[in-house]
Amino acid sequence: MAVMACSNGIIQEFSMETKINEPIYISGVPTYNLRLEKRAHEGYLYINGIRAKALPGGAHYQMIEPQLFSYFDEICQLFTGNTVIFVDHESYLPFIIRNDNVTILSIEVVGTTFVMNTKLGLDDIRDIGNRIERIFRFEIIPLLKEVGLYD
Amino acid sequence: MIRWEIAEFRAEKVDKNILGFKADILIPDEMYNTMYTPIKFTYDGQRFTVNGSELELGYSIYEIKRRLESLLENSLIKKLGKHSREEEYLRSFRLTRMGVHQYNKMINLYYAYNDKFLSVGDLLVQHPHRIGEELCRSPLRVDTNAVTDIKSFYELLAEICRSKVRINVDLDNINEIIEILLQEIEV
Repeated sequence: MAVMACSNGIIQEFSMETKINEPIYISGVPTYNLRLEKRAHEGYLYINGIRAKALPGGAHYQMIEPQLFSYFDEICQLFTGNTVIFVDHESYLPFIIRNDNVTILSIEVVGTTFVMNTKLGLDDIRDIGNRIERIFRFEIIPLLKEVGLYD
Repeated sequence: MIRWEIAEFRAEKVDKNILGFKADILIPDEMYNTMYTPIKFTYDGQRFTVNGSELELGYSIYEIKRRLESLLENSLIKKLGKHSREEEYLRSFRLTRMGVHQYNKMINLYYAYNDKFLSVGDLLVQHPHRIGEELCRSPLRVDTNAVTDIKSFYELLAEICRSKVRINVDLDNINEIIEILLQEIEV
């Protein structure tokens, strides 16, 4: 799952989980499950709570920060105001979108049933879903792969 | 031609050959707009009743059955069928008018194939006879047990939008069936 918070088309914070085959060493411990973060009011990437720059190979991670954040900005630019978006980690499709504290899309699983409520139309949902999926699949994930933060 | 409104229309096919339907319609009073006369039509594959009284349908049953078959061939029902592992024992379609919300009508559409269902509900439309045009532009609620992940859920949303023209054809079929029934009982 990835969660991001946007304000007026700019990424404020995000977190996403990734799994890698080649571990990175965090405090000397080989680590395969990563949590990538950008915190509010900070322009840095964090990996499992540690500033990426401070990790072995940190220069590479630092280099991708501006590009990575600009890709998240592209997602944010689909919305105005303050928006929180939850994205499914397998399909990269959104399942919750809250805009200015109003839930405009929610897809929940209740038992064996998927339940979607929305204040948008299906055309808008599909359009937003396609754009977010494309940004993850063709921009964010390849960039993370380049520096070994995604497999 | 008399004015009428649908409250609910159900069509179903059991074990691939028994076709039935239920239609609840409301006929507005000519003098008082807020008063309605309800009429309930039912057909279980053998008996046809109107407000509980049995009537003969004659040859018009063949035209009704043809239109019911068409309704139950909807692409959304076929899509649900792809998610069912059992041999077909039930196809079902239901249109329900939930009420009026400001200037819009609230519509529920329900499709089923065996135990798999898709409900498109709380759909606010201005023109209930042409739902297709508004289907993918209006707020709504979608429930289904036919998918297992978000990706296949989105694929089902795409199928709903692809079927919007077909939904108008289905509505025409329902209207025609009700017109035939009203002629049969000479209202």
